[in-house]
Amino acid sequence: MTEPSQRPVPTDAADVPLPDSHALIAKLERSVGLTDEDRGTLMGVMSQRRRVSSQVDLIREGDRPESVFLVTRGFACRYKILVDGQRHILGLLVPGDTCDLHVAILNRMDHSIAALTACEIVEIPRSTIVDLTSNHPRIAQALCWATLVEQGILREWLTNLGQRGADQRMAHLFCELLLRLQVVGLAGETGCFLPLTQVHLADILGFSIVHANRTLQHLRFLGLVDLKHRHLKVPNLARLRNFCSFNPEYLHLSRRV
Amino acid sequence: MMKPPHNVETLVVLQPIGVDTDSDDRQGLLVMANGLLVGVLVRLDTPGHEQLRGWFLEAGFGRLAGLRAPTFDTPEAAARWLRQRLKR
Repeated sequence: MTEPSQRPVPTDAADVPLPDSHALIAKLERSVGLTDEDRGTLMGVMSQRRRVSSQVDLIREGDRPESVFLVTRGFACRYKILVDGQRHILGLLVPGDTCDLHVAILNRMDHSIAALTACEIVEIPRSTIVDLTSNHPRIAQALCWATLVEQGILREWLTNLGQRGADQRMAHLFCELLLRLQVVGLAGETGCFLPLTQVHLADILGFSIVHANRTLQHLRFLGLVDLKHRHLKVPNLARLRNFCSFNPEYLHLSRRV
Repeated sequence: MMKPPHNVETLVVLQPIGVDTDSDDRQGLLVMANGLLVGVLVRLDTPGHEQLRGWFLEAGFGRLAGLRAPTFDTPEAAARWLRQRLKR
């Protein structure tokens, strides 16, 4: 953990693109119409940002959770470590993502959260969450939506791990990340900055590192994706989506009418 | 399956074989323990393997099924490591 700081994120994140500073707002507006007052409230919540170096744990399994983390820059992950040292990555937090709105109800964390790259985060105290959910009904609904979306993502990851073959499994992850990053203004139509290594991909997808590399090479050979120098290129998104039967419904990006 | 008595050393024999991994990693070794196939090792020759080189346990059977093994500099090192695992 590092000290609160207004300084820019350190150089190892220099090539991490700056999001629209309203990543959270951009995301939440997918679920509900926020007023200017709501946006002002959220901007106030996000005013105290601090930087975290890559590979640093924000909170560890067994710790007592006191606040909610919001990622405003960089990539973080939820993970568990098995007794043999093997890590499994359970989820990715991209800018605009928060962890467990009501985590302070729990006595101990059942998993850890770490910065995968250098990150900028906001630590939202429990009292602020209580205020947001009690006194700002639209924000409360939007945060509730975000929690449901995260559960939807987890269900999709479970399906991915249990049922899809290696190529489709990896392709599906790339489809999801591209779309999630597009929502917060961090991806174009055909690509995005994506700082995932073969080790990260292996730990997300349940592969060996050897298979992560082979699968990446195969997707590249098929002309579906290219992940080089921390940049993901998708030459033909429709083809990639078709290849892995990607259906974005689980991200619930259209408002209920 | 009949297990050999504890005081008999597991005899591990490596036997060359080509393996289709849908990649450039195709030089392989069958790992035979007391005459039974227990694993397949493959030499990592695909460009772009991050931090990895040498021999990789492509597949394991029986007690080696689903095992996450490290990679090994030589087939002999792999055989030693696998023999230890088979003893347990």
